[in-house]
Amino acid sequence: MRTEGFASSTRAFRGLGAFLWTEVLVQAHEELAMAASMLVQSVLLVFVYILAPALLGIAFVGAIIYSMFTMGNRVLNEAAYIRIDHKANDLYLAGPMSPESYFLGIATGILVVYVAPVIVLGALAAFVVHFTWAQGLLLLGLAATVWVFSASVGYVFSTFFRDNRAIWAYSSLFFNIFGVLPPVFYPFRLWPAALAPVALLMPPSAAAALAQASFGFTELSSGEVLLATAGLLAETVFFLLFAIYWARRTVREK
Amino acid sequence: MTELALSSEDLRKVYFSKGAPPTEALAGVALEVRRGERVALLGRNGAGKTTFLKIASTLLRPTSGRIQVFGYDVDRTPEKARPYIAVVPQEGKPFFHLSPREQVYTYLRARGLTRETARARTEEALEKMGLLECANRLSVTLSGGQRQRAMVATVIATEAPLLFLDEPTIGMDPFARRAVWESLRTLTRRGSTILLTTHYLDEAEALSDRLYIIERGRVLVSGTAEDLKRSVGGTVKVLLPGASSMIESFRSFGTCVDDGDALTVIVTPERLGELMDLAVRSKLLATVGPVTLEEAFLRVVGRSIDED
Repeated sequence: MRTEGFASSTRAFRGLGAFLWTEVLVQAHEELAMAASMLVQSVLLVFVYILAPALLGIAFVGAIIYSMFTMGNRVLNEAAYIRIDHKANDLYLAGPMSPESYFLGIATGILVVYVAPVIVLGALAAFVVHFTWAQGLLLLGLAATVWVFSASVGYVFSTFFRDNRAIWAYSSLFFNIFGVLPPVFYPFRLWPAALAPVALLMPPSAAAALAQASFGFTELSSGEVLLATAGLLAETVFFLLFAIYWARRTVREK
Repeated sequence: MTELALSSEDLRKVYFSKGAPPTEALAGVALEVRRGERVALLGRNGAGKTTFLKIASTLLRPTSGRIQVFGYDVDRTPEKARPYIAVVPQEGKPFFHLSPREQVYTYLRARGLTRETARARTEEALEKMGLLECANRLSVTLSGGQRQRAMVATVIATEAPLLFLDEPTIGMDPFARRAVWESLRTLTRRGSTILLTTHYLDEAEALSDRLYIIERGRVLVSGTAEDLKRSVGGTVKVLLPGASSMIESFRSFGTCVDDGDALTVIVTPERLGELMDLAVRSKLLATVGPVTLEEAFLRVVGRSIDED
């Protein structure tokens, strides 16, 4: 029996490029949503600029981290929406495309489209913060790590819902609580000292704390740097691997 | 490679949910689809058609039993079966922010087809489904029927060896339905195999080489539409509105089915005159026509296909 396309089932990322491009086309039609993705960050930046302009650099760094973190919210909403409303998972997964490609296609498709306003934010931040190439690269790495974490968490969470209405409330609550309450937009040392390890174990605030330390906005002990780095990397790797496992497992309902 | 595209043995599926008794959706389904066949699963809502299709298309795990696609065990090695299949999911919709042309093309590319093949197949499928005029419009602006055609176009363009179509023509006008039927016939001529679910009896009759009637998770009967119609016991049906109370008088003529509003009597042509005499004497209105799959379904299941 002849098959076309991916006859082999051994390639883990078969179909990724095409599905990523599909998601880019889908997402690129939402120009207003791209602008709206900067809403919370922009409002907070304006408030900081008016109330405490000295903290604007921290707020810009926080805004970049927060932007990457909330992409997980978009992954959650998109994955749930196309599964529940469009049955896209049935269409794509009952075929040669791999489950890993389905998950990563949604995640990276959203990244490709929604990273544009983050780049603008980064360019603006360069005027305010005056960072070196090394600091810029570190910020890029931290932002990318936070994106991997949040996209993985978002995809896994998306599989638990059967109704889109329930998702809106939970997802925005989750991503805003973890993206705004901990010290992402404000100096790490304003967070209660007793709860510092908690903030350093939450990926968005861990990334923000490391970025703040790198830019000289905050001083972190070597233990805190180690905890934040190890926590961020471990949680990110864990959730990425778990999301890949979960994507494979949830192809089939039980 | 086996001559069977699909086979199942004693396939069972029980759904468990908190606070509700277990529901047995499939109760030992045995079914075979040979390569190049078009086979329809006929059944009322909740009969188990979609459950079977989801298991066969590797999207749902069975509770027990065996099911194979081209000899590959769907439950144990679904990844081996997947390159051979494509699915039109029930109530599936194209991406609203893609045009039908983008939808079909990107889907084919995601399945690994080359640019040239994907482009050619996309145009062919859009033409067959009558979508060329709206091929570049976003699907969000299309009618429900056009969206469904875009879904079918997406899947038939794959020309996969085994296609599963769950209620593929729902919401389509009669012309579009016929276009789908023709496309499916073309696909099987090219070597594909098709398993579809439908509760349109005319669709099952017009399209399928063989059909299975499923009720409460069990296959009640299988065969060609002609076999099933012959099993009814006659080739002529007489519809007698308002004759339900006279069912005993008509029983001797053949199979009688009372749906509450009208009595349907299946009769051989030889006894038709005698039956019509009785109807005239009883001052009943009578409509005579050929036996259809509907009567066969009623006889086998005991209920109309539209009855919940």
